[in-house]
Amino acid sequence: MRATLAALILSLAGLAACSTLSPGTPPDKWSYPLEARRLPRPSSTAATPHPTAADASRVLQQTTFGPRPDEIDALARSDFNSWLSAQFETRQTLFLNDIEPEHLKLEKGKNLNQELFFRTFWKHAATAPDQLRQRMAFALSEIFVISFEGMLDVKIRGVASYWDMLGRNAFGDFRTLLDEVSRHPMMGIYLSHLKNQKEDPAKGRVPDENFAREVMQLFSIGLYELNIDGTLKLRDGKPIETYDNEDITGLAKVFTGFSYGGPGLTDPHFHNQGLEPRWDILPMKGYPKFHSANQKSFLGTIIKPQAISDPEGDLKNAIDRLFNHPNVGPFFGKQLIQRLVTSNPSPAYVKRVALAFNDNGVGVRGDMQAVIRAVLLDPEARQSNSDNSGKLREPVLRLSQWMRAFNARSASGDFLIGNTDNPGFSLGQSPLRSPTVFNFYRPGYVPPGTAMARANQVAPEMQIVSESSVAGYANFIQTTIEAGVGRAEGGKRDVQADYSTQLPLADSPEISVDALDLLLTGKRLSVASRTRIVDAVTAISLPANKPANAEAAKRNRVRLAALLIMVSPDYLVQK
Amino acid sequence: MSNASRREFLRRVGALGLLRAVAPLGLQLAGIGAASAANAPEDYRALVCLFMMGANDAHNTIVPYDQASYDTYATARTSIALPRETLLPIHPINNIGGRELALHPALMPLHNLFERRQAAILANVGPLLVPIKDAATFKNTSIARPPKLFSHNDQQAIWQAFSPEGAKLGWGGRLADLLSARNGKHMFTAISTSGNAVFLASDKTIQYQISNSGAIGFNRSTANQLFGSAKGAEALRAQIAMAGDDLLQKEYAGVVNRSIDAHGLVSAALARLPETDPRLALPADLAQQLRIVARMIGVRDDENIQQRRQVFFVSLGGFDTHDHQLGKQAELLSSVASSIAYFQQSMENLGIARNVTLFTASDFGRALLSNGDGSDHGWGGHHFIVGSAVQGGNIYGQFPDVALNTTTDIGNGRLLPTTAVDQYAATLARWMGVSNADLPLVLPNIGNFSQRDLGFMAAI
Repeated sequence: MRATLAALILSLAGLAACSTLSPGTPPDKWSYPLEARRLPRPSSTAATPHPTAADASRVLQQTTFGPRPDEIDALARSDFNSWLSAQFETRQTLFLNDIEPEHLKLEKGKNLNQELFFRTFWKHAATAPDQLRQRMAFALSEIFVISFEGMLDVKIRGVASYWDMLGRNAFGDFRTLLDEVSRHPMMGIYLSHLKNQKEDPAKGRVPDENFAREVMQLFSIGLYELNIDGTLKLRDGKPIETYDNEDITGLAKVFTGFSYGGPGLTDPHFHNQGLEPRWDILPMKGYPKFHSANQKSFLGTIIKPQAISDPEGDLKNAIDRLFNHPNVGPFFGKQLIQRLVTSNPSPAYVKRVALAFNDNGVGVRGDMQAVIRAVLLDPEARQSNSDNSGKLREPVLRLSQWMRAFNARSASGDFLIGNTDNPGFSLGQSPLRSPTVFNFYRPGYVPPGTAMARANQVAPEMQIVSESSVAGYANFIQTTIEAGVGRAEGGKRDVQADYSTQLPLADSPEISVDALDLLLTGKRLSVASRTRIVDAVTAISLPANKPANAEAAKRNRVRLAALLIMVSPDYLVQK
Repeated sequence: MSNASRREFLRRVGALGLLRAVAPLGLQLAGIGAASAANAPEDYRALVCLFMMGANDAHNTIVPYDQASYDTYATARTSIALPRETLLPIHPINNIGGRELALHPALMPLHNLFERRQAAILANVGPLLVPIKDAATFKNTSIARPPKLFSHNDQQAIWQAFSPEGAKLGWGGRLADLLSARNGKHMFTAISTSGNAVFLASDKTIQYQISNSGAIGFNRSTANQLFGSAKGAEALRAQIAMAGDDLLQKEYAGVVNRSIDAHGLVSAALARLPETDPRLALPADLAQQLRIVARMIGVRDDENIQQRRQVFFVSLGGFDTHDHQLGKQAELLSSVASSIAYFQQSMENLGIARNVTLFTASDFGRALLSNGDGSDHGWGGHHFIVGSAVQGGNIYGQFPDVALNTTTDIGNGRLLPTTAVDQYAATLARWMGVSNADLPLVLPNIGNFSQRDLGFMAAI
C-alpha cells in the first residue's frame, strides 16, 4: 500500500512539474484542469491611449499588489488594454508549487503550519509576474470565502489548491469558477457539504443546508432580485426575495452525496479521507448511494424523483440554474468593482459591467476576461478625480504595496511573515483568515452615525477600522519602514526594502516626495500634505563631507516621506 | 472644529431641535430622552451583550431532563443528542409544567450561577414583529414576520438592530443615546471589544472599539525625532488626521481623532487600576474581552471617564455547528460559561455586581433534526441573563416542548419564538432606566407586545 501511494505521489509530482502536457490537460480525470476553460472571445481588442504616469500608477494600484517604479514607466509607454491582454497570457504562479513539496515531506500525522501559506502569499504578492491574476485570486477569495479560521486550520495544501483554483478561473468563465468552488473539498469542509448525506426520515436526518444557502446568498444571486444596474427590483415598493426556505431545502438535496475525489467509489471512500492521499486537492465527486433521489425544487427548477440518484447531473442542473440567473451579472460585477476600484459605483457603471458579464461580444455569458476589462476600462474606473469615488485600501494591500514600491527582498527567500490578524499591533487582516464566510467586511457596510451614512454611501473596508486598528496600523507600517517586516534572523527582519530607486532623488525633497506620491498614491497627495512632508524631509540635513552619513540621511528622508504618505487618509483612500 | 467640540455642538443643536429636518429620530431622542435620563436612578448601570456568533444550538444548551421529556428529545435529535447522564440538572424556582431541565455538561460555571440565583434563563426568544400564536398560523397565514429568517448576517442585525444587514440603529446604541446625558465622557458610553457592532450603532453615539489590552496609541507621534527629522513627529500627527472634502477620508480621519482622544483618557485611567489588580485576575480568550470591560467598569468614576450608564458588546464566533457539533459546541459553551463566571466574580470583587447585567444573544436557535453530525438554521433560542440584579434561578418565557410537530415547530424543530427580542430588550432597558413612555424610541415595535417587563430584573 505504501509503495503504491509513494508511486502515485511521485507520478503526481512528476506530472505537476512536467511542461510537455498540452494546455488544459490534467494529470488524470480526477484532478482539476490545469488551465481555465477556453472561450470564444472577440478577436481583437483595440489599444487604448498611452496613460499618464499618474494614471498608470492608479491602474496598477487597482490591478496588482502595488505598482513598481519600472512598471509605471513601462505602462506609461504602452496602453492599458495591451497590458491587460499581456497579463491574461502570463503563466499562472501556483501556490501548490511551493507547498506541495513541503506537504510531501511531512511525517505521518504531522501537519503544515498556516505560516507556510502566508509566506507563499507574501512572496508571490511581492514578486510574481502574474500580478493581475494573483490580485484577482485575492479579490475572489473575499467573495468565495473560505478561511483558515475554523476547520481548515491545518489544511494548508488544500487551501493553496483553492487559491490556485481561484487564480486559474480568474481569467476563465464564471460558470466553471462556481462549479469548481462548489466542488472544492476546502469549501466542502468550510460550508459542510462534504460528506453531506441524503435525507433519512427513519433516522430523523435532513440534508445540511449550509452550502445551499450561502451559494445563493453570497456566491451567485444574492438575497433580492436586481435590475441589470444592481439596483433593487421592487414590487409594491418592496424588494423581491430571490429565494425562500423551500428553495434552500430543495437545493440542499442537490448538495448531498458529494465527498472525497479520486477513483475510489466505495462507502469507505465516501467516509474516510485517508483512502485518497490527494483528497484535499481533488474536486469532490458524487456518490450516488448518499445522494438524494427525491424530487428537488429550487428557483423554479424541478428535478424529478430518480430511480438511481444522479449527483453529477443534479449538480450540473443547479450550477446552470444559478449561473443563468439574471442577478449574477450585477451581483458579482458590483462586488468585483468594489474589490478593485470603488465602493460606490454608479448604477450605470454596474450595468456596463453586468452587460459584459451577460455577453462578451460574441454571445458568451460569464467571460471573466470581459468582466475584468469592463470593470477596469470603464470611464468611472479611469476618471482620476471624481469626488467620493475610490475605496479604503485593505491592510493586506498596504503592506504588499510597500514591498513592491521599495523592492523588498527576503533574506531567507521565504518571506518569513506569519499571521497578521491583530489590529492592535499588526494589520488586522491576514489573507484567507476571514472570521466568517461573510468576509472581513460586507459589501453593504455603512459606518453608522456618519456623513457617509447620511449620504447613503457604503464603505466596506471601514468595517475593520477601529480606534485600535488605526493606531495599530500606523505603528506597524512605521516599524516596517524603519526595520523591515517578518521574523528576525540575527537581529535583522527577514524582509527588507532597499529604496534604491528613490535614494538618488533624495537630494531634492520636492522631487523625492513627488516620486513617492506618484508611486504610492498616483499623485493624490493634497497640496498641504505635500508641503508638510517636504518640510519634514528637508529638516533631515545631508552632511556634505561625510558620504556614509549622507547616505543614511538620504535613506531616512525616503523612509520618513514614505511613512508620512502611508499613514495619511490621502493615501489610505485609493482613488 | 475638534472632535470633542463637534460632539458638544451636535449635542446642543440636537437638544435645540435644530436637527429636525435631517434627523427626526435624533430629535425625538434628544427631547424625550431627557425624561428617561432625568428619571433614571443615580447609581451606575451597565449592560453587557455577549453575542454568540454563528447561532448557538439552544436545543443542546438547555435540555429536557425528566426521563419522558429527555426520551422525546433524544428520539428527535438522534446522533447529536447529549447523553442524559452527562447533563447538569437545574432546579428552577418556578414549575415548568412538571418538567425537569438540565444544562449542557460544559456549562458548569453557569450552572453554579443559576443555582446561586445570579443567572436566569429566558426560553425561546427570537425576533418577531407581532406575536404569532402557533406554527400553523406562521405557515398558513401571511402574518407579519421578520425578513430573512435563517440568514446569519441578517438575523444578527435583526437581533441587534431590528432590521436586516445594513441596519443603522442598534438598540444598544439607542439606549446609549437616551441615557448618556449624565456621562462625563460621551465617547465611552458604548464600547465594543469585538469589532463594529451594529448593536451599538446610532446617530449620536459612536461606539468606541477598545482592544483587550486597552487603548492603542500612535507610538511615534510624540517622538523628538522621527527618522532624524525634528519636524517628523509633528508632521506625523498632522498627516494621520488630515482629510480633505472626501467623505471616506474624513471618516477615517474621524476614527483617528477619536483614537487619539480615547487613548489619552483611557491609558491614564487604566494606569490608575493596575494590570495586576487582584480583583481582575488574568483570564483567557473570550474572558479577555470581558476583562477589558471589567477594567473599564473599574475606572467608571475616574475623572477621565465619568460614566453612569454604559452599554458593552463582546462576542465569540464559531457557533455555526453544521458539523462536528458535539465537540465544537462543548468547547464554545465551556468558554462562554467560564468567561461569564469570571466576569461575575470580577463584578462581585469590584462590589458592583448589582449594577452590571450581562445577557446573551445569538443569530438564532437551530433546528432540532440532525443533519448527521450537526444542525441547521432555526429561529427561537434560549438565553442567559447574569448579574446580581437578576431575579435568578428561574426560567422566564415559555420553555417549549422539545419534539417535532409541536405548536412551536415550524419545520424540522425550528422554534417559533414565544417571546420577542423586543420584550427581552425592554426588560433590560427598563432596568437601565428608560421610562416606559420612552421604550418605543429604543424598541419601535414594543407596542405590538402586551408584556413589556418579563420580570427577570429586580425592580429599579
